[in-house]
Amino acid sequence: MSTATIALLGQPNSGKSTLFNALTGLRQHVGNWPGKTVEKKEGSFTHNGMEYRVADLPGSYSLSANSDEEVITRDYIASGDADVVCILADSSQLQRSLFMLADYAGIDVPCFLLLNMSDVAKDQGKTIDAKAIEERLGIPVIPFSATDTRSYDVFYEAMGRAINNKTRLNLNDLKKQYESIKGYQEICDLIPENALPGYSSMWAAVKVIEGDRVVSAKLKNAVGAETFAKIEEIKKNTQGAVATGGCKFAWIDDVLDKAVVSGEKKVTLSRLDRIYTSRVWGKPAVILTVLLGLIASFIPALPLMGVGSAVIAIKEPVMNALYSAGCPEVIVLVIGDVIIQSFSYIFKMLGFVFGVTLVFGLLEEAGVMARISYVFDNTMGKLGLQGKSVMPFLVSFGCTMGGAAGARVIDNWGQKVLTIALAWAVPCGAAWATIPMLASIFFGPGAVGVIVAILLTMLVHMWITAKVFGGKLVKVEDRYGMIMELPPYHKPKWGSLFRYVFGRTKETFVRVTKVILLVCGLFWLLSYSPSGNTSVLYRIGVAIEPVTRFFGMPWQLFLSYIASAVGKEGAIGVISALYNGGSLGTAFVDSMNGAARAANFNEMMLANVTKPEALAFIFAMTFNMPCVVALAATYQETHSAKWTARIVLYYTVMSLILAFIAYHIGLLIW
Amino acid sequence: MERLLELLRDGHARTLELLAMELDTDVEDVKRQIEYLENMGVIKRVALKPKGCAQCSGCSGKGHPEGSNTCKGCLPDGGFKNMGEMWEVV
Repeated sequence: MSTATIALLGQPNSGKSTLFNALTGLRQHVGNWPGKTVEKKEGSFTHNGMEYRVADLPGSYSLSANSDEEVITRDYIASGDADVVCILADSSQLQRSLFMLADYAGIDVPCFLLLNMSDVAKDQGKTIDAKAIEERLGIPVIPFSATDTRSYDVFYEAMGRAINNKTRLNLNDLKKQYESIKGYQEICDLIPENALPGYSSMWAAVKVIEGDRVVSAKLKNAVGAETFAKIEEIKKNTQGAVATGGCKFAWIDDVLDKAVVSGEKKVTLSRLDRIYTSRVWGKPAVILTVLLGLIASFIPALPLMGVGSAVIAIKEPVMNALYSAGCPEVIVLVIGDVIIQSFSYIFKMLGFVFGVTLVFGLLEEAGVMARISYVFDNTMGKLGLQGKSVMPFLVSFGCTMGGAAGARVIDNWGQKVLTIALAWAVPCGAAWATIPMLASIFFGPGAVGVIVAILLTMLVHMWITAKVFGGKLVKVEDRYGMIMELPPYHKPKWGSLFRYVFGRTKETFVRVTKVILLVCGLFWLLSYSPSGNTSVLYRIGVAIEPVTRFFGMPWQLFLSYIASAVGKEGAIGVISALYNGGSLGTAFVDSMNGAARAANFNEMMLANVTKPEALAFIFAMTFNMPCVVALAATYQETHSAKWTARIVLYYTVMSLILAFIAYHIGLLIW
Repeated sequence: MERLLELLRDGHARTLELLAMELDTDVEDVKRQIEYLENMGVIKRVALKPKGCAQCSGCSGKGHPEGSNTCKGCLPDGGFKNMGEMWEVV
């Protein structure tokens, strides 16, 4: 029985494996290519009394020397072990997938072309004239669907034709394309035909221009060092892979010209993308989207906030019950003022974490987040940063630590440090849980205005920070260009979105509970004054109050501000502990009586804190050092204690300045 | 393709659609050029797919709860998936 060997060549996902399995069934075995860890799949089948061996070549993008797979593939083909090479292309994207054919052109082995997945192309409304393509290429070309076993007759027919007629690619048009490259012809003339067995001089010349190291080394041996030095000299003036790639694509377009008719052709942006990518409206549209997102996140937050209020409602009854059961005062106070109180905040905060994560997760899933980072890319450039810096910033809206760690994608150290320094200015998830809560207590619907002010301040802050640190960290020539493939808008996958949101909320719950209970408990302890004496904190606080007043913060708020450097989650707990725990201190008790009896954070705050003070605190806390974990991450990424310390100091000073400004603006308004 | 690279070097971000418009071609063409340039090592893909702290050297996988890539306090798994692709000129 006579035999022939057929090699299957195609890019990944071209349907090669499907074809291989369908042809060989169980008659296949898997080994390794000699000396390599690359998988070698071989099999066999019989058709019309003839036995065929099939080699499933590794899937690769092209036949360059970018990977072992590619070198093995082209060497195997050029060795002549296969009688015919079956090249697979994806009919649904011929423009792209014919690249393998263009890269193959010049290897002197008979071949034929399968336009696989022709059913998909048909569904897309494309009509492909395989006959016209066949005429231009000079090899059998057939529309095919590897998954449709009934269509295999045409495959066998084309294979037979290719083997019997030894059909080879018509290279004339491609040659003409290459001749337009400056230096190509000279290089080609220096390479004798068959200098590399199995490869034409055209193919070798193109690979040299592309900087293919494997081909260059072989060629140096074949033509001698002197000739090769000439080739290298000419090569220097070519545009390299960019030029040859352009030729290959131009050739593909000529081959496909009028042979492929597709339904839609013109580039159009969706209406939404036209707004987002507009120079004028892009930024306002993005800012509006973020704002609407923040406002919308209040809605899913409400139920959990309700739980928070319900928890605080049981505080009085529980405390009374414990008192009447004869429980010691300290324990009652710990349970009431620390534990129950803390859980009330924890639930309220979780409400916001849940809402913000859900809404922003939704925006991300739907593809809007990508547009946001796209729109702000040019702004990043103005800050002296790369476009990709925007990604750590976006992550920082969730968690500054994640942002600092995410800055790892930036390969330039100076830009990385600057990115982290700026990412600190982005209010994190914990801040987003605290700001709306405090703002809505004091300013009602005006809370939205506070959020807008915070966002604007954030931008200004980042701009100033970039000016302050940028000069030292970033040189102008460090900047890079970027393309972004915006993902298509799509309906969110609700299941995975909710899993993500619940996972995040649960994780926050665990972390926040620890921080709040700890910080709240510690500060309560320090402010606890059982014997009627004033507490430690009270004395310290009152002593420094003249200074802190300058920034618009009474001592309780100032200590909360200090606590917010440990973790923003803790700030609210501290406020509460200070205003509550002090109720036993003599000096404090009078001012606190009404509020303490109300056992309600909102009213307690309103009774003790003025609006300008609240505003000052919100700004001070938001732009304070994000938290200890972020500090650690910053040190880890920058590897510089000096820069980490500089950033901490800078943020402390800036947050106090911002508090001062906010306070005085507040005084003017109220 | 030279023009595409020129546009990439000017430091502005563009979508594939905008690139296609500026180069007077279609998105498929831009996509295949990007694919080619990426394969030839002229441009490279920027990868930020935070899988928890899978890449962070600080905890090096210790202390992760079972079945999770994330240590407590890190970014949770599954954040930032549909963020589009970014490339930069090498």
